[in-house]
Amino acid sequence: MAELRQIAIYGKGGIGKSTTTQNLTAGLVEHGKKVMVVGCDPKADSTRLLLGGLAQKTVLDTIRDEGEDIELSRIMREGYGGTRCVESGGPEPGVGCAGRGIITSINMLENLGAYTDDLDYVFYDVLGDVVCGGFAMPIREGKAKEIYIVASGEMMALYAANNIAKGIKRYAKTGGVRLGGIICNSRNVDRELDLLRAFSKELGTQLLYFVPRDNIVQRAEINKKTVIEYKPDSNQAQEYRNLAQAVIDNTKFDIPTPMTQERLEEILLEFGLMDSADDYHI
Amino acid sequence: MAKLLDKQRYKCALGAMQTVQAITRAIPILHSGPGCAQKLSDSTGSSGYFSPNIFPCTSINEKDVVFGGVKKLETTIENALKVIDADLYVVLTGCIPEIVGDDTGEVVSRFADAEKPVIYASTAGFKGNNYIGHEQVIGAIIDQYLEKSEKKEKGLVNLWADVPYQDLFWLGNIRELEKLLAEIGLTPNTIFGYNRGIEQINKIPKAEFNLLVSPWVSLSNMKKMEKKLGIPYLHYPTLPIGAFETSRFLREVGEFAGVEEKKVESVINEHENYYYYLIERYADLFLENRVINKQFSVVADAQYALGITKFLANDLGLVPAKQFIVDDTPKQYRETVAEEFKKLNYGLEAEAVFETDSYKIHEQIKEHDYHGYPLILGSYYEKELTESLKGNYLNISWPVQDKVVLDDFYAGYTGGIRLIEDIYTVAVQRFN
Repeated sequence: MAELRQIAIYGKGGIGKSTTTQNLTAGLVEHGKKVMVVGCDPKADSTRLLLGGLAQKTVLDTIRDEGEDIELSRIMREGYGGTRCVESGGPEPGVGCAGRGIITSINMLENLGAYTDDLDYVFYDVLGDVVCGGFAMPIREGKAKEIYIVASGEMMALYAANNIAKGIKRYAKTGGVRLGGIICNSRNVDRELDLLRAFSKELGTQLLYFVPRDNIVQRAEINKKTVIEYKPDSNQAQEYRNLAQAVIDNTKFDIPTPMTQERLEEILLEFGLMDSADDYHI
Repeated sequence: MAKLLDKQRYKCALGAMQTVQAITRAIPILHSGPGCAQKLSDSTGSSGYFSPNIFPCTSINEKDVVFGGVKKLETTIENALKVIDADLYVVLTGCIPEIVGDDTGEVVSRFADAEKPVIYASTAGFKGNNYIGHEQVIGAIIDQYLEKSEKKEKGLVNLWADVPYQDLFWLGNIRELEKLLAEIGLTPNTIFGYNRGIEQINKIPKAEFNLLVSPWVSLSNMKKMEKKLGIPYLHYPTLPIGAFETSRFLREVGEFAGVEEKKVESVINEHENYYYYLIERYADLFLENRVINKQFSVVADAQYALGITKFLANDLGLVPAKQFIVDDTPKQYRETVAEEFKKLNYGLEAEAVFETDSYKIHEQIKEHDYHGYPLILGSYYEKELTESLKGNYLNISWPVQDKVVLDDFYAGYTGGIRLIEDIYTVAVQRFN
């Protein structure tokens, strides 16, 4: 049996990490893979499309209400195609320490034996920015060794990606964590593909896959489904299948080479804003 | 880069629970992990109106980190008010809730209508040591409890000195200073120790002025009271030990308070006569012993390093070597504190070294030529070192392991005599 691949997905808030992760998971399921998705975001919306709604009670809510003596079945639900879905959850906004919450819930999953031998993939869907050590938990202590950053051609998305790469580089020195590539969740920005390719190259990694923009994703979301489940015959469903294949086939794992702010802006100017910079009017 | 700190001589800011415990019928409520206080509570004795070993604590754990500990804090305060008969409840925060970001102030504000006052001080260890924590507690009393009083009480003066319990002689010292102030006709008001509590705290705003006897601790509190309560302050940086400094202290306080000069001089005269009578009787011992030699070092907080240096130089004519200040004096005060060490009689000057690392202090002591047996007045950490140097050693600062002090003191005329007794007891024991 193949070795378990633990993958962490990072990226700017709102970039589409959860959507991409779940659609990618649906693609992997079609390949017969056994997948667990661990949402590491206090909002607890990382498994909504796989579960057909926010039906999940989070690990931390369960610990809060019932204590630590709980069964695994209380915090793990089965979703689309037999995927295992877990939401770490978090404290109420503005109180407590969500970062420590991630650590607590991943430890809890381990103690309860969630990481069984039949798993092929575990995805950690982590909230927007790695604001503190807690949110780096999935890439510490030898958990996720493989990371993908979801980005688009927008400046702030690339800025966040570069920042995340700094964190990966830090942990790459001491652990085995590596960057598997950038996944572009397209926003239809000018010359987006060229920009993302150049950015990935500068970052010392690859553009793993370019997911085009398609409103069917939003429609599937409203219906609480992944695109593959909602419209299996659509072009977008095929795109996610291709993404899944790219992840399965990927053997290129690098220690990223994050760039300075100046260099990042140079690349943006070159590929993103160069043509429109002069005719910018309010 | 991180460095190793060898044997520091203070605790973390949460050590300010001792400041609260020094106020009779005040109780600290700790918002911290269960281990913090356990490690901090020593040298406070073990019983009293409240045993220093018994206090409410939220004992927060991982769950409280994740979800915040405010609910636990609220119920802990609520129950403390129910079961503990105190006059003042002071919530002290440890590192964990401060890092997590618990809004302690907001929780405490819910008890504004409680029958007894509940206040809070931010005493996370990463904010500094227990000297800073002490200031935080006094600051909390000023900010959250005291109100300005238009009515002043003639001659009433709030007396502030160094940190209770951290200072081994705090109780005796402050009582002796009170006595001296009373003798020149003032009415001293202090909040620490036996028979001092909420009633004395309530009197603070009515004082004509604050008198701070400390090189730097609580200076920020004096400024705060000046601003909020309109109370001017006199800052006397040196703990007066022995005749020279105590007489100067009384003159300066008398002048500031507008006490008649004749009265002050008559008090001074009476004390000095007795003081020098004692010194004279034993002058032979001081002059002709060959054991307490010429040079000495004090290893203590700024209060004792300065007070004892001045005493030994001005009253006993000993020569200061380097003096080590171990309280991590905040940088903004260092220059003025160091300056005080240069104001010695007979044209003497002492070099003040601000150092918290015992290894470095001990290396410097070993390197120095004391022209004979060194006289080292310090903490228990200096005992072994001094023995290895065949020196004379007296334990006067925290940590204290070979001495029991109930209300002994070194402040004032009498305190000076006590210190002479202790030092020369060490000397005569050497050969007897």
